[in-house]
Amino acid sequence: MRMRVDHHPVLGKQTDRKQVTIFFNGKPYDAYEGDTIASAMMAQGVYALRQHEVSGNARGVYCNIGHCYECRVKVEDRKVVRACLTTVYHGMEIDSLSGFSEGNE
Amino acid sequence: MKVWNLLIVGAGPAGLNAAIAAAGEGLKVKIIDEFNRIGGRLLGQLHQEPNGEWWNGIDVANRLHEKAITLGVKIESGVSVYDLEQSEFGWKVYTSEGMEKTEKLLLATGATEVPTPIPGWTIPGVMSIGAAQVMGNVHRVKPGNTCVIIGANVLSIAIANELRLCGVEVKEIVISQPNSSLTHSGTPEKVMESLLQLTHLAPSVLLRQAGRVAKYIHPSLAVKFYPKNGMNILDIPIKIKTAATEIIGDKKVKGVKTVNIRSNGEIIPNTERITEADFVCIAGGLAPLPELAALTSCEFKFVHELGGHIPLHSERMETNEPNLFVAGNITGVESAKVAMAQGTVAGLTIASEIKGNKKHSDSAIEEALLTVRKEREEALIQFQPNIARARELIYQQFELDWKAESPKRSIS
Amino acid sequence: MAGEKTIVCRCEEVTLETIVDTIEQYSCSSREVKLRTRAGMGYCGGRTCRNVIDRIVAATNGEPIKDELQLSYRSPIRPATFEVLGGGHENES
Repeated sequence: MRMRVDHHPVLGKQTDRKQVTIFFNGKPYDAYEGDTIASAMMAQGVYALRQHEVSGNARGVYCNIGHCYECRVKVEDRKVVRACLTTVYHGMEIDSLSGFSEGNE
Repeated sequence: MKVWNLLIVGAGPAGLNAAIAAAGEGLKVKIIDEFNRIGGRLLGQLHQEPNGEWWNGIDVANRLHEKAITLGVKIESGVSVYDLEQSEFGWKVYTSEGMEKTEKLLLATGATEVPTPIPGWTIPGVMSIGAAQVMGNVHRVKPGNTCVIIGANVLSIAIANELRLCGVEVKEIVISQPNSSLTHSGTPEKVMESLLQLTHLAPSVLLRQAGRVAKYIHPSLAVKFYPKNGMNILDIPIKIKTAATEIIGDKKVKGVKTVNIRSNGEIIPNTERITEADFVCIAGGLAPLPELAALTSCEFKFVHELGGHIPLHSERMETNEPNLFVAGNITGVESAKVAMAQGTVAGLTIASEIKGNKKHSDSAIEEALLTVRKEREEALIQFQPNIARARELIYQQFELDWKAESPKRSIS
Repeated sequence: MAGEKTIVCRCEEVTLETIVDTIEQYSCSSREVKLRTRAGMGYCGGRTCRNVIDRIVAATNGEPIKDELQLSYRSPIRPATFEVLGGGHENES
């Protein structure tokens, strides 16, 4: 699945961005420079980014501007970040947070 | 460590314009914002003005950004603020990149979306309407090929059109489940009332079409004759007599369960159906985001017309807290143009306090205030009726509480 | 309608039914609802649901929303690592 808006009737085309590879739960995904983790994963049709720490229910991007913290993920097995605010880079390793293992908060 | 003349939190329309005004008067200014791009809510905006020209928020943001940089403003994105503290020189601001010192602090943190909770709204693929707007217009990613929007208001109709331009099929806009405790505009009649009050000022051909019906008839009649299957505006069915009752899906959203309802919100039996969609948007409106002001001893007011709780402030954007200023949607939900004009007022007010050239600055501030009023009158999107009146009352209250000689009293 | 299935506070998964029951039982404020149910107390600091909780409380109690913020904000208003709070730079972005 690829959900990019390369051509927009008003905003014009956006086709010249550099492609990078990111890893989500160990699997490689294509992304573009300038993407956030959230936009890169959504472009690939991946909606669920973490599990609720108690119920284990799947959660994904809700507000997309850093207010709700629903999209938080672990980067490089170290930092917990908001996927919607964090820009990707080539080789970035991202992992879902699952129930009762929230990493370094 | 450097002490800034002015630190601004929020690089949206208000923050950028405040920086431009203040730096133009010679102040050393820094802006920080937690998003990874500069422009705030401007970035998602894309609508047609009455003259047919497009309001392209990204272009506007880029212009303001460049102008600010030319004037020597330091701008950092991806920086979050954790805490504020008064100090002898002004403020200490604790951020994810360390502490900043500043004489004056301007909070231009904008607004946040108010959800209308519904069963299933935590399923991945359900997002706020603003989230979808940013995904499409800013990141140039379609959250899916098909969508259902829950919540019929000016903002959701405008963004539905933006999603359409991104190539998304908006299957329908329905209203949220009628429950007075979760939403201010529950019944079809209430929804129609708010749409009618607003559409004659609303953006683009799209909303004007809806408004045409409106001018001549009373909301209750408009609802009565409103087609059960909705009214199509640019191929988007707006169904104000259909209410969402549940979003279905598990690890990924599958669709929305709806029922038909009467004008008073009563459910019509045996009308339940499911509309499938790749993603679902919740559009519950906006509320000012005052959290940083709430860490200080700033006085607050709840003003329905302005979208919720706001820091009490003067027309010149001062708060009761020394050296603390506010501008933009933190002072009440309005259009980006109003926010920009308010930013200029704040920047000039702050420059005047620091430079002390009262005569020069007073006339500039008066002019800036006129622009605010003009933008308010001409606003295409009026989020609530009676905004101007509500603003006047806030300014009067501020004068009474904090400017008059007599002790603090209340006019409420 | 469907109060037991409607989550209001996403962080703590507190339902509309729990919140309304709590308000009715204790005829309480948003702040008391938060302390009794944890609604608005989660990771996002109540940013997502606070306006909704204020509305539910006002509607259930039949009172207008008050000027004072019923659900207070406390620093840090963003979840921060100890390093950030201590002045270091290893942080949530």
